[in-house]
Amino acid sequence: MPVAASAIYFLNLRGDVLINRTYRDDVGGNMVDAFRTHIMQTKELGNCPVRQIGGCSFVYMRISNVYIVIVVSSNANVACGFKFVVEAVALFKSYFGGAFDEDAIRNNFVLIYELLDEIMDFGYPQNLSPEILKLYITQEGVRSPFSSKPKDKPVPNATLQVTGAVGWRREGLAYKKNEVFLDIVESVNLLMSSKGNVLRCDVTGKVLMKCFLSGMPDLKLGLNDKIGLEKESEMKSRPAKSGKTIELDDVTFHQCVNLTRFNSEKTVSFVPPDGEFELMKYRITEGVNLPFRVLPTIKELGRTRMEVNVKVKSVFGAKMFALGVVVKIPVPKQTAKTNFQVTTGRAKYNPSIDCLVWK
Amino acid sequence: MAPPAASQRYPSPSQPSGKSEVSDLKTQLRQLAGSRAPGVDDSKRDLYKKVISYMTIGIDVSSVFGEMVMCSATSDIVLKKMCYLYVGNYAKGNPDLSLLTINFLQRDCKDEDPMIRGLALRSLCSLRVPNLVEYLVGPLGSGLKDNNSYVRTIAVTGVLKLYHISPSTCIDADFPPTLKSLMLHDSDAQVVANCLSALQEIWSIEASHSEEACREKESLLSKPVIYYFLNRIKDFNEWAQCLILELAVKYVPSDSNDIFDIMNLLEDRLQHANGAVVLATVKVFLQLTLSMTDVHQQVYERIKSPLLTLVSSGSPEQSYAILSHLHLLVVRAPFIFATDYKHFYCQYNEPSYVKKLKLEMLTAVANESNTYEIVTELCEYAANVDIAIARESIRAVGKIALQQYDVNAIVDRLLQFLEMEKDYVTAETLVLVKDLLRKYPQWSHDCISVVGGISSKNIQEPKGKAALIWMLGEYAQDMSDAPYILENLIENWEEEHSAEVRLHLLTAAMKCFFKRAPETQKALGTALAAGVADFHQDVHDRALFYYRVLQYDVHVAERVVSPPKQAVSVFADTQSSEIKDRIFDEFNSLSVIYQKPSYMFTDKEHRGPFEFSDELGNISITPEASSDIVPAQQYEANDKDLLLGIDEKDDNKGLSSNNGSAYSAPSLENSSNITSQMQELAISGPATSATTPQSSFGFDDLLGLGLSTAPAPTPSPPLLKLNPRAALDPGAFQQKWRQLPLSLTQECSVNPQGIAALTVPQSLIRHMQSHSIHCIASGGQSPNFKFFFFAQKESEPSNYLAECIINTSSAKAQIKVKADEQSTSQAFTTVFETALSKFGMP
Repeated sequence: MPVAASAIYFLNLRGDVLINRTYRDDVGGNMVDAFRTHIMQTKELGNCPVRQIGGCSFVYMRISNVYIVIVVSSNANVACGFKFVVEAVALFKSYFGGAFDEDAIRNNFVLIYELLDEIMDFGYPQNLSPEILKLYITQEGVRSPFSSKPKDKPVPNATLQVTGAVGWRREGLAYKKNEVFLDIVESVNLLMSSKGNVLRCDVTGKVLMKCFLSGMPDLKLGLNDKIGLEKESEMKSRPAKSGKTIELDDVTFHQCVNLTRFNSEKTVSFVPPDGEFELMKYRITEGVNLPFRVLPTIKELGRTRMEVNVKVKSVFGAKMFALGVVVKIPVPKQTAKTNFQVTTGRAKYNPSIDCLVWK
Repeated sequence: MAPPAASQRYPSPSQPSGKSEVSDLKTQLRQLAGSRAPGVDDSKRDLYKKVISYMTIGIDVSSVFGEMVMCSATSDIVLKKMCYLYVGNYAKGNPDLSLLTINFLQRDCKDEDPMIRGLALRSLCSLRVPNLVEYLVGPLGSGLKDNNSYVRTIAVTGVLKLYHISPSTCIDADFPPTLKSLMLHDSDAQVVANCLSALQEIWSIEASHSEEACREKESLLSKPVIYYFLNRIKDFNEWAQCLILELAVKYVPSDSNDIFDIMNLLEDRLQHANGAVVLATVKVFLQLTLSMTDVHQQVYERIKSPLLTLVSSGSPEQSYAILSHLHLLVVRAPFIFATDYKHFYCQYNEPSYVKKLKLEMLTAVANESNTYEIVTELCEYAANVDIAIARESIRAVGKIALQQYDVNAIVDRLLQFLEMEKDYVTAETLVLVKDLLRKYPQWSHDCISVVGGISSKNIQEPKGKAALIWMLGEYAQDMSDAPYILENLIENWEEEHSAEVRLHLLTAAMKCFFKRAPETQKALGTALAAGVADFHQDVHDRALFYYRVLQYDVHVAERVVSPPKQAVSVFADTQSSEIKDRIFDEFNSLSVIYQKPSYMFTDKEHRGPFEFSDELGNISITPEASSDIVPAQQYEANDKDLLLGIDEKDDNKGLSSNNGSAYSAPSLENSSNITSQMQELAISGPATSATTPQSSFGFDDLLGLGLSTAPAPTPSPPLLKLNPRAALDPGAFQQKWRQLPLSLTQECSVNPQGIAALTVPQSLIRHMQSHSIHCIASGGQSPNFKFFFFAQKESEPSNYLAECIINTSSAKAQIKVKADEQSTSQAFTTVFETALSKFGMP
């Protein structure tokens, strides 16, 4: 079968196995050695995240100082594999409370084993939703030694039966104070030629939501009329609308969103998971107003010296202000000495990321 | 009781020895085992954690197996889980001990907490000990009927695990039908999804030997089942959705309404946050509309923006996977991203594998309207600090030029690269200029003037140097000092480490000699002398060949070495369209990433008839196939266009990128000519005249082409005329081998001379080829050899496939024949046997 993973390994940067789980017998135990000698100890590392050695393919990702390697023996679905790793890492993070690194793994290996068993069975991904898993995988799942028949059955059994219906939310939640937080995070990507022409500019945005609501609420989020999500063909047919609309190139939603209703009514309606999640993502390429203009000039002074002059201008309205502005200037790895002249803020050289950083 | 801890392994010296710790643990566990004091669970937990942590870092703790099992009588779920984990890890190595666990696992399977029932069932099925399967059936059966969905989910996967340990037990217990009814009636989506994956796996394995399973497998793809899944798709989690979409791809819709229904149903999946779901949906759309051209085009339009979103969001690894797919799409439909080329501009902080794919994308989307911008951007990358990327981008510029867009400007740009005076830039550019000249000879004047100014001393890389030397030879008449540069290079023959460069030097010296004989004569003499004395076999052979052909007749030599050239119109594609189609069929899988169909890389059991050759590791399929098929193709190719034929040959070897094929041109162009000139030589050359066709195997081998169609003693006129130039690629062969029924099995004996000659498989292959029976794969070592042959009817494309196993110690050959036309398979077998019986005869 194309999607079944044979094993998953967590390795540290030296190539030691931190933890592993073999789901199927069709790969040998020495496969991870093959990975170590053929990928980690050669320059191959970082050249390509999918490699084939022998009859097996290795799909790997580096997350902080850990390599997560999925071994498959057949023609697997790669996108699925990567997505699984990403989701699994998110799950671990929500369990460990933030960081996911070598130490976190070493301190929680029992938990990780449990989770690995739950999220994947015989190589097929199962439920990875932290909400549901947290109900029955806990480190505090102690039962008092002699009461082998607990009186109140824990909630999981009730919800597990409805995993199909709303797999991301459990029933019976109750909060004294019902709260919803909504954040919009946008990242503007700009590519400018050395002459200062804008080559490409796009925005990827996320709507993040934090919910503390009781019961099974059905939420609706209306998008204002300025937002147009139109297919290219329609756009061509009536091009010159007033420049006020924001054309979203593409939108994707969290699995809780009723996509059919979005397509018909343009409202985002959903039963939210509890806690924090990413409700939607969108992408815009047309009509992006840049918040800043950056004017760099680079002079090479001889063979070993370089002068970089960066001017940053804000282009947004006078009433608004920006916080936490950071400018990073990548420099060659061999940089030995740096000198700064700043009109405001502070700058320093950060060798670990080969960048000059201004705050 | 537990065995002594003798077999402990210490994976690295830095880790604790573990021996004393393990025995410590053992005594402590034993003390706790019987205790019922309060708080004992907590101390047990600590101990268990220790055991598991030892297990994780690789210390063998299997010696405490007995104690662990004794302690497992607990109601603490965390303890139980750790115990299950431990048991699951060591059961396989200790089948006898695992019998101990069966008891408590079976008891737990009846626990009233569904959590424990599920966990116990999972551990029970994960023991993977074949002699315990009998204990699995009961718990699995009740697990499937459990009223808790968690237990059912686990039981369903358990059935699949059981099937992998012992298929017969699983089938005998009638589990597949039970799964089917669960799949169609269970209310829980995860149970249904697991049933689907289990059934797909079981039935596709069973299908090879059971008709019923085959029918069942088909029934999964029937309209009601597919619609049942698709209508419920929103109930499933994202992974199960992928599974269902993958199933839907295989569905053959009855009419166009059917197609549109499915597409309407699935359209919103394109907005799903999970990239895997989006890709799977894209695959469904593309496959469904294959037959409807205009809808297919609309599909490309529709999927464009979701795919671009996927590229720009997510980790670089994910973008990499998506970009590979985009590349596949853009090759099929170049217009699709033509206006969105800016999305493929590289960002400085992207990993090199993403950048590399983006460069490929930029090359692929280039057309008349955007070439200028793309090439401008690519030229920026040529100065990149990452040398690999700089090289790639130069190559990309060259590839775009070869696509015939805006050549004029690109040539200028390439020539500017030469002025950058960076070793690798110059080397890459030279190679490209050479390729361009082969396609657009009209630019030679501009290029040569610049190239002439480059000092060969500045180029260290063999490929760049070879390209420069090729140009020196080819355009000797336009470059005033070409002979002198060559002379200089030849003087430094000893310092030239690359055989490729030396080969090119020989050829260039020859070409130069034909154009400007007086100036080059001395240099040519030196080169030939040095070449003949060269320790590299190819260089030696070529020098010797040039020498003899010059000795024979200078005009013949000129015809051989420097024939008038036609411009190359199209550089051969590295992949046949058939292979591309196959990759497209396997969209959303590793095939796309590796850019080859799955049969080329999946494990042995999927490789079908080629299995053995891999096991023995003697001869791989590819070189074998190429050397046998190439002659056939090459003859045709030679007629048409010399250079084209060469490129094709390279493709078959699977060696070449577009550039790779180009460098080797001069060398191959000679070798293919050699075949045609060989007869002449054999008459005149005193050394070769001694070798008769029969005994010249070694000689043939060196040239790699062989006198394959040279008339060996003609067999008594067979009933069946075979096509001496038959060609079949390994993929097609494999497919046919799987599909066709066995028409004949025959055993015959091989004559003793044949056995004596069969020291390596190649000797038989050559022999059979002279009877128009071609080998596609072979392997084995004395005394057992195995061959796969194929042949085609002379008049029509009807194939015969044969497997032949020869045992040299018993002098027997076993032949299995499969044929497109069953009726003539007997005739073919006769031909085959006749041919085989002549093997080894002088």
